[in-house]
Amino acid sequence: MSSQEASAKRRPNAGVNLLLGLTLLGLLLLMWVILAFATPTFWTENNITNLARQGAMIAILAIGETFVIITGGIDLSVGAVVGFCSMAIALLLGQDIPIGLAVLATLAIGLGIGLFHAFGIVQLGLPPFIMTLASLTALRGIGLLITNGATISITNDTFTGFSRGDFLGIPNLFWMVLVVAIPAYFLLHQSRWGRYLFAIGSNAEAARLSGVNVKAIIYLAYILSSVCAAFVGILLAMRIGIGNPTQAEGWELQAIASSVIGGTSLFGAIGSIHGPLLGSFILTTINNGANLLNLNSFWQRIITGLLIIVIVYFDGLRRKKR
Amino acid sequence: MQTHSGSAAAQQGANLAGTPVALLTLEKLDKRFGATHALKAVDLAFEQGEIHAIVGENGAGKSTLIKLLTGVHPRTGGEIFWEGQPVALASPHEAIGMGINAVHQEVVLCSHLSVAANLFLGDETVRFGFLQHGAMVREGQKLLDELGFDLPAAAQLSSLTIGQQQLVATARAERRGARFLIFDEPTAYLTRTETAALFLLIRRLKAKGVTIVYISHRLEEVFELADRVSVLRDGALVGTRRISETNENDLIALMINRSIEQIYHKDKVAFGATILEAKGLSGKGFNDISIRVREGEIVGLYGLIGAGRSEFVQSVFGRFPATNGEIAWRGKKVDIRSERQAMDLGIALAPESRRDQGLCLNLGVGFNINLPIFDRLSLGPLINIPSEASHAERQIKEMQIKTASRNANASSLSGGNQQKIVIAKWLNHGAKLFIFDEPTVGVDVGTKAEIYRLMGQLLHHGAGIILISSYLPEVYELADTLHIFRRGSIAASHAFKDASHEAILTEAIGV
Repeated sequence: MSSQEASAKRRPNAGVNLLLGLTLLGLLLLMWVILAFATPTFWTENNITNLARQGAMIAILAIGETFVIITGGIDLSVGAVVGFCSMAIALLLGQDIPIGLAVLATLAIGLGIGLFHAFGIVQLGLPPFIMTLASLTALRGIGLLITNGATISITNDTFTGFSRGDFLGIPNLFWMVLVVAIPAYFLLHQSRWGRYLFAIGSNAEAARLSGVNVKAIIYLAYILSSVCAAFVGILLAMRIGIGNPTQAEGWELQAIASSVIGGTSLFGAIGSIHGPLLGSFILTTINNGANLLNLNSFWQRIITGLLIIVIVYFDGLRRKKR
Repeated sequence: MQTHSGSAAAQQGANLAGTPVALLTLEKLDKRFGATHALKAVDLAFEQGEIHAIVGENGAGKSTLIKLLTGVHPRTGGEIFWEGQPVALASPHEAIGMGINAVHQEVVLCSHLSVAANLFLGDETVRFGFLQHGAMVREGQKLLDELGFDLPAAAQLSSLTIGQQQLVATARAERRGARFLIFDEPTAYLTRTETAALFLLIRRLKAKGVTIVYISHRLEEVFELADRVSVLRDGALVGTRRISETNENDLIALMINRSIEQIYHKDKVAFGATILEAKGLSGKGFNDISIRVREGEIVGLYGLIGAGRSEFVQSVFGRFPATNGEIAWRGKKVDIRSERQAMDLGIALAPESRRDQGLCLNLGVGFNINLPIFDRLSLGPLINIPSEASHAERQIKEMQIKTASRNANASSLSGGNQQKIVIAKWLNHGAKLFIFDEPTVGVDVGTKAEIYRLMGQLLHHGAGIILISSYLPEVYELADTLHIFRRGSIAASHAFKDASHEAILTEAIGV
């Protein structure tokens, strides 16, 4: 799907975008081939489904993050939102609230957090970096206050069983990526609100003078990001069977890195849906491969950090050339 | 740094002896920015200890000249001699090292630091690696007192008025040991007392042997201060006069280009109904403005920068709503409180800074054209991609926008073609009143002609135009009705070409 999307419509430099998409896809496949030969355990059903499940969560986070980055903003809180929402749904399920209702309530929490971010950024004029950094630490704090630091286990087997199940041989969690990515694709590339996201990232003043409701669109971006994170929180709770507000530490960086690896510009106005998808699976593969190759897991953090520096550097170069 | 004051005193002696010494000589100084020939083979000699005024219309090349002299831009041709020696003058650092300093209209200082810290910026008093705050404040205060400025050296710069900051900038140049000091419209933001203090300082610097280049729109200041005056027009030096041998009319005649290029394309369109009428409109920066725009009419607003033209149209466009007076749109009284409202009425603003306000430069041409009407191009939640494409293609064709494709970034287009995108955007939206704020700044002559033709097209479609320009020939040749702005008010109004250039310029400058 990626190459078709890359050529899609009005994205500037459609050719470059297509090329980047294909390069990323090639890189991902290359890594898989190398790992399949280098380790006996990579190309096993167990590991591939594991990779798909782990990658799925980062992919959904990265898609949400991409909406924000396209407007020229940043959302540092997504990891904390994931942890907070894993706790929230564990608590709700512990109260014997039906699964459907608990899921909706947790997504509503995500929506509320997104509203709060946008309020701070649009109405109070805080820089997105600060606003979301503040809620990153605050959310973890609130979660710890509520749970008193304890982990909440989830006893609802229907709920946790979903994450282990599959459909047509593909893990349920991976299907969830499509559930998010397909509407996200239509929103970003085929709807006027998607166009407005790009316009704001390129020149908010010009967008405003063209009659775009800039504030509403910024609200939309941060709400999407937080709701995606809340959704990932639910998936994480499913997968590990517990709720804990300290979970998903550092995932915001993985989400941002995935998005940026996928070609999203941190300066705004450049980005796609397929990019962060590929980016997140590349990042997950790197981490997975490092595990299988018995690399100290601390190295994974260092590699992620270096990757971000390299990619943002190239993003800066690309910007300068314009 | 301290050494200069000694040499300045030595030169003062030379100057008193009555032999004019050329401190800085320009020979065939030339500057091109791409296709624009900004400065054309200028020959000019600045004498030791003179006050040399430079006048000219906006875009005549004054700021380019300053930028070459201060090393901000490299020259494309010609020679610069400093005390007879050829110099490269390739960086601001080199210029400052030689003693060339500029005091700009907009103060370039650090507003969060103290006055003293700004005076010593880059040249701080240090002992054992530590800043000597006390010493700098004392020395700074001494300097300010000597110069006759009533300013506290310890105060934070931002607590001063713009005018006082200008004085600080001057004091800093003086401290750096400037021998050649350029003032670029220094009095634009100054009060009368501040202006007097500045003039006193300039005369004192001259007495010390410093060469002053004084750039101003205000001819009365030129006559009060300068020894000689040079006139630039379209990048060329058209004359240098001793101040005692010239007068204001003489200078104005030199400033205006009489040979109007045949680029002004003026269709006579019969006027229709009144589109917009402002009655006694007042707001921040403008006062009691009454104008009327009819279908098929170009209303020109001419005046110097800061005369209140832009402020007035921004209030018509809803950005800074007027505090007094009323606006009638097609005969009905309206209260325009927001830009959204103005746009919905049918007012379009092609802003002065295309780059900042007009376009999403790193997005496609088609994207920009369609931006105001994506709601109309949508079917339910989704955009109708084929009609989006065909719509963009049609506009590109109709407006003859030269672009590789509708997907090419707007930044890849020439200035004129970018301007066309802005106009296409609003034609799409169905605007009836077009406000052009300096539409031809930075575009070449061919594109200018194209933009004027475009305006003609708009008029035939029954639109009305407000044209703001600081370039007199433009409004003179195009405006059916011309209002002259001066200090926030309309100083005079004219029908098509019913006054001479000289009269209009005189009204705008207020001599």
